[in-house]
Amino acid sequence: MRRRQLLALAARFAPVAAFALGTVFAGAAKAADPVKIGLLMPTKTLVGQQGVQGAELAVRMLNDQGGILGGRPIELVTYDTAFKPAEGVAAAQRLLTQDGVKMIAGEISSTVALAVIQVAQPFGAIFMAAVPKHPDVTKSGYDRVFRLNSTTSMDNKAFDSILVDEEKPAKVAVLAENTDYGRLVIAHMRELFGDKLAFSDTYEVTQGDFNSLVSNAKASGADLLCIAGSNMEQYGNIIRLTDELSFDADICVMPGILNSKGVSIAGKAAEGAFSADIYVPSLDNAANKAFVAAFEKAYGHKPEKIEELGFESIWILAKAADKAGTADDMGKVAETIRSNSWQTPRGDVTFDADGQASSGNVYQLVVKDGELQVAQ
Amino acid sequence: MADLLVQQAVNGISTGMIYALVALGLTLIFGVMHVINFAHGEVFMMGAFVTVVAGQGLLGLPYPLAVLLAVAAMAIAGWVIDLAAVRPLLNRAEGQTDVLLSTFAVSLLLADTVLASHGPAPAFAPGWEGSLTIGSLTIAAQRVLVVAVGVGLVVLLEMVLRRTDFGRHLRAVAQDRFAARAVGIDVERVGSATFVAASACAGLAGALVAPVTMFSPGMGHQVIIMAFVVVVAGGMGSVTGAVVCGVALGVFESLASVFIPQSMASVTVFALLLVLLLVRPQGLFGQRR
Repeated sequence: MRRRQLLALAARFAPVAAFALGTVFAGAAKAADPVKIGLLMPTKTLVGQQGVQGAELAVRMLNDQGGILGGRPIELVTYDTAFKPAEGVAAAQRLLTQDGVKMIAGEISSTVALAVIQVAQPFGAIFMAAVPKHPDVTKSGYDRVFRLNSTTSMDNKAFDSILVDEEKPAKVAVLAENTDYGRLVIAHMRELFGDKLAFSDTYEVTQGDFNSLVSNAKASGADLLCIAGSNMEQYGNIIRLTDELSFDADICVMPGILNSKGVSIAGKAAEGAFSADIYVPSLDNAANKAFVAAFEKAYGHKPEKIEELGFESIWILAKAADKAGTADDMGKVAETIRSNSWQTPRGDVTFDADGQASSGNVYQLVVKDGELQVAQ
Repeated sequence: MADLLVQQAVNGISTGMIYALVALGLTLIFGVMHVINFAHGEVFMMGAFVTVVAGQGLLGLPYPLAVLLAVAAMAIAGWVIDLAAVRPLLNRAEGQTDVLLSTFAVSLLLADTVLASHGPAPAFAPGWEGSLTIGSLTIAAQRVLVVAVGVGLVVLLEMVLRRTDFGRHLRAVAQDRFAARAVGIDVERVGSATFVAASACAGLAGALVAPVTMFSPGMGHQVIIMAFVVVVAGGMGSVTGAVVCGVALGVFESLASVFIPQSMASVTVFALLLVLLLVRPQGLFGQRR
């Protein structure tokens, strides 16, 4: 009798016990589920590859620390955008509809970023633009868009006085990539220099031969050549051509673009070229030291701005999801990003109401003895 | 202004000669085999790649030897492409369409193989360094070499086509494959030889360009569009058309950049091509079929 009662009791509570156990196991499985973050970059270019390296290092460091949200690892899903808005849109759609991603990071081109925002908005996804510089990227009105790089107007504040008061050119030539960013730079330089802007033209992002452009710039009689293009293969080649064509002008590469790979492509013609940027690998803070050491161990050389922004884009998204306690509620994650300060290799980063990041630092750079150095 | 126009004309001749060298191979293949080789741009890129690797990387060869190695390697590559991706498909009912797709697949294979093995970083081959200055005119020595070798190659090709048995066989196959076969010409062998010669031309163009615009894995995609414009404008299959239109296109682009933004110069080129196709669909030097 006693045995029959026990069996009846067991039968009555079996479903409850099964449900409870199921919930526990399901919870455990969910805790181990990776948090997917999408990464968009022009991966077949040097600059895109640098961004990917930084992002992959962030994932490795986060996972080595035990992941986020109680042990969930980060999984990066990377797609190539090839600097083309159509490719960016297709990649973002794939991330959101097929890969189950709710947070997208990365990208170099402002034109691609502006297109990706249109895709992310209907899905309520977060887009953490790493490198795009056009002001409109954070002016779309969508409150889940963030941008890490400085904007052209932030650059102008820091750089205009160097160009006008220190450089004091008689005539200026500007060569810019044919993108929203490039055209914006030309418009600003026209405003800044007026009649002193002797020549300006754009080049395509896939262009390889700049002989005609540099010849035209030389013929304008400019004593300052400014270059605005994120692709280091291209600006490196343009700088190299100035030497080949005996174009003896000072060279300025617009802020946030010049790095050591571009300097090495340009060769000896880059000597004396100057620029400015928001990050240098010699910064003296704990987060940067850890980042630089891990990067050097992984890739055998020091990181620069693009690598840092690739890193930062993943780092902040993951830390924000962890702090918000969710990888599903993007409204809550976005609010957490906006209302906190984030420790990154370039210092403490905060976001304004539009989603624009700032660490408050800009460093003047110059090429000296074949190396990119912080100007004294 | 006159100085600038002369400078840009000289720039244009060197740029145009590069277009012509790439278009030359493309038009040879079309003229003889009536197929469009989408892998031609990547053969050009591989020519530059071999020059960089042989000149700076693994072998450390002097530039002239690196160029010869690139030409030989691309000639072999052309033979392999014909053997693997063209000849087996050409006799099918939709053979020419199939070849379009198979050579496109080869182009992706070559581009992605170089990307995977070398990465996207550009690289220089040390060519003929320095610049030549005549009055206000400055031109890189390597660009002079591009023009000189290009002219030499065109003369050589013209002599081979006009004065050798191979040239006569090649012209016979181009005119009528069936009739050529009927008089005992080995049409397949001529086809293979055409692929080898065309790929060697593309390899040479790549080897000459590597010190000028640098090698980059994407350079094949960039050049092939302009090469198609040259081939279509010159008349598909016309060697003379490819050379004249290649150089003319380069000069037009350079001169136009003095007066209008460069992006508008490119738009103008494509607009002119459209008009040309409406007025003279066979191209400037092509025969009406």
